Amino acid sequence: MLMRRLFVVLALAAALLAGSTVWAAPPNFKLKKGAEGKLCLDCHAGQLDDILKRPFVHTPVRSRECTGCHNPHASDHGKLLAGDASKACASCHDMVPAKARSTHKPLAEKGCTGCHDPHASAFKFNLVKGGNDLCASCHKGIADAAAKAKVKHRPIEQRGCVACHDPHGSAKASSLLSSDVPGLCVGCHKTDNPLFASKHQGYPVAKARCTSCHDPHGSDKRGMLYNRVHPPVAKAMCSQCHEPAGSANPLRTRAQGMNLCRGCHAQKLGQFLEKARVHRALLDGASCLSCHNPHASKVAGLLKAEPVTVCGTCHADTIKRAQVSPKKHAPVSDGSCTACHDPHSSDIPLQLVNGDIVTLCGTCHDWLKHSSHPMGEKLKDPRNRNLTIQCLSCHRSHGTEYKKLIPYPTTSELCTKCHEQFKR
Amino acid sequence: MNARTALRALAVLLPLAARADSLSFTYSASIYQDAKEVALRSPEGVACTGGSLVVADTGNRRLLTFALKESGIISQTGEVKLGQLTSPVKLQVDGKGNLLALDGKSHKIVRVDANGGFGGFVELKGAPATPMILGFKLDAADNLYALDVASGKVLVADLAGSVIRAVDLPKGPVISDIAADGGGTIYAVDGVGATVWSAAKGATAFTQLGKSLKDRMSFPSYIVAHQGKLILVDQNGMGLVLLGLDGSYLGRQLAIGWNDGFVYYPSQLCINEKGDSFVADRGNNRVQQFTTAR
Repeated sequence: MLMRRLFVVLALAAALLAGSTVWAAPPNFKLKKGAEGKLCLDCHAGQLDDILKRPFVHTPVRSRECTGCHNPHASDHGKLLAGDASKACASCHDMVPAKARSTHKPLAEKGCTGCHDPHASAFKFNLVKGGNDLCASCHKGIADAAAKAKVKHRPIEQRGCVACHDPHGSAKASSLLSSDVPGLCVGCHKTDNPLFASKHQGYPVAKARCTSCHDPHGSDKRGMLYNRVHPPVAKAMCSQCHEPAGSANPLRTRAQGMNLCRGCHAQKLGQFLEKARVHRALLDGASCLSCHNPHASKVAGLLKAEPVTVCGTCHADTIKRAQVSPKKHAPVSDGSCTACHDPHSSDIPLQLVNGDIVTLCGTCHDWLKHSSHPMGEKLKDPRNRNLTIQCLSCHRSHGTEYKKLIPYPTTSELCTKCHEQFKR
Repeated sequence: MNARTALRALAVLLPLAARADSLSFTYSASIYQDAKEVALRSPEGVACTGGSLVVADTGNRRLLTFALKESGIISQTGEVKLGQLTSPVKLQVDGKGNLLALDGKSHKIVRVDANGGFGGFVELKGAPATPMILGFKLDAADNLYALDVASGKVLVADLAGSVIRAVDLPKGPVISDIAADGGGTIYAVDGVGATVWSAAKGATAFTQLGKSLKDRMSFPSYIVAHQGKLILVDQNGMGLVLLGLDGSYLGRQLAIGWNDGFVYYPSQLCINEKGDSFVADRGNNRVQQFTTAR
């Protein structure tokens, strides 16, 4: 009796466990001994012959265990897979950490076959392309820059992207890095080396974020600094902004916020602050450093990132509106926010670079070719006597949910806001 | 009444109660120009009492004063142009009818005397650093609450200008304006994150009220506590958002547009004791009057 109860409990536990597995074990198709792969190849020989000649063949394929992944009879999944493709791979390959801080987008969105051929490949790990070429198929910008860089990062040349990145996911760091910065960097670059100290002017940067100055993918600058270097950094004049290297707080800056930058950029800052509308980012504590990297940057103007990213830190609503708008306004979609807005200050609301909207838009658009609608200072807006007809009378520059950047679903709804006599 | 019936009754009555507790704004009139027919240009500030209205006609670098008559007629009574106030942006009137104006260029609060002259800058005695003020309010006792980004604090000063309280601004949010209610609670609105914060009387730090209202408003730029509610000017969302003092969403009023009754990049709001409200409709180059009703 006791044994029977134990058996029932074990059977229930087994059933529960089986129910919780992500990939059910393939059923026993009771194939004749040695018939597994051979039977399949009888029909699929044409498809598989070439595949099987490749140097790297997936183990179940090599051992002809097609039923390890496929159901020979019927399936709810494509390619007669016995279950969800991603779960099929995970039943043998547990590649993504349980609490990943970063996961590779193709893996999360497309599954393993975005990078791996499940049958066989000419490349190690059944990759669909070899080495860095596979990464470059998505990360072309980084790959091209790394290839062209005058000063190359040796690990990329020797071991490729995987020297620093885990292509599946990372439990330790963002950007799929196998470890966080600076831990990853100091694995090779010994911080107790006297040369390291002298290159950094004696400043204790061992725990600083290396990638705030150095481009880990290579650059054209000595020391692999980002291609745009703040002159004091390029001239190794760290103490121009920081306390002396031998002081009690060597990394502390000599002044805070805007006052530090004022030392060199007084004239420019004076011009910014003379305007009636100063960008809030400039007035807050971090001031210039809200948008600029004080050491080096990939982006012109020592911006922390591309303008759309920097501006989008605060103006995410505007960027999102532009992204979902069916009609894209080129400066917005290209991230050229400064084509219309002055990022520092302006006397004009919305920090526009020109208060005459027709002239501002005319920088890119020839409105006479665009529309025959009269515009200009002499034409009052029928909706509001203090407005004149200009581009923004009909369009919203960052986009709307409707076509042609107009704020109403149809053109007739837009036109009849002024031309009421035609309203039906 | 069983529990199910009671719940059904509550489900019907609660939304009605919420609506009854809300404010509605009905268009009344617009101010487009001064007595000399000079058009308003990007007006950013308004302050009002039962009988008077002051407009910061920012683009024209001036203040305009108006009398509000019982008949409903709004007539201009004066124009103020000061060298110390070349970019008037936010206005407040104290309990004695004195006008204070924030200059957007110098980030200082200017006192305007009864004759429209310069009455001096508001000095905040005991401020931790030279203040850089981006917003201010007065309470019923005429204590002044200043949003000072230089120190990263809200500074509260008494009638003599001495700082009697300093509350650290929350780290991270970009506070665009502050408000104070009759009980000494300070409210702060984060323009970027669309969150509202409060610091009760005696508190030394702000705490967030509810969740972000990012899906309800975009770049709220002004906040006022009025009769147990918070009214926020939703600058980029083009309207007004009404919240409970606990940060709960009560609704929104007004919408984007160029015709009378609509707003385009509004910037400041005032409500007088008669329930008349005025909105500085910056993008439409006008000030609009609304009657408010519960």
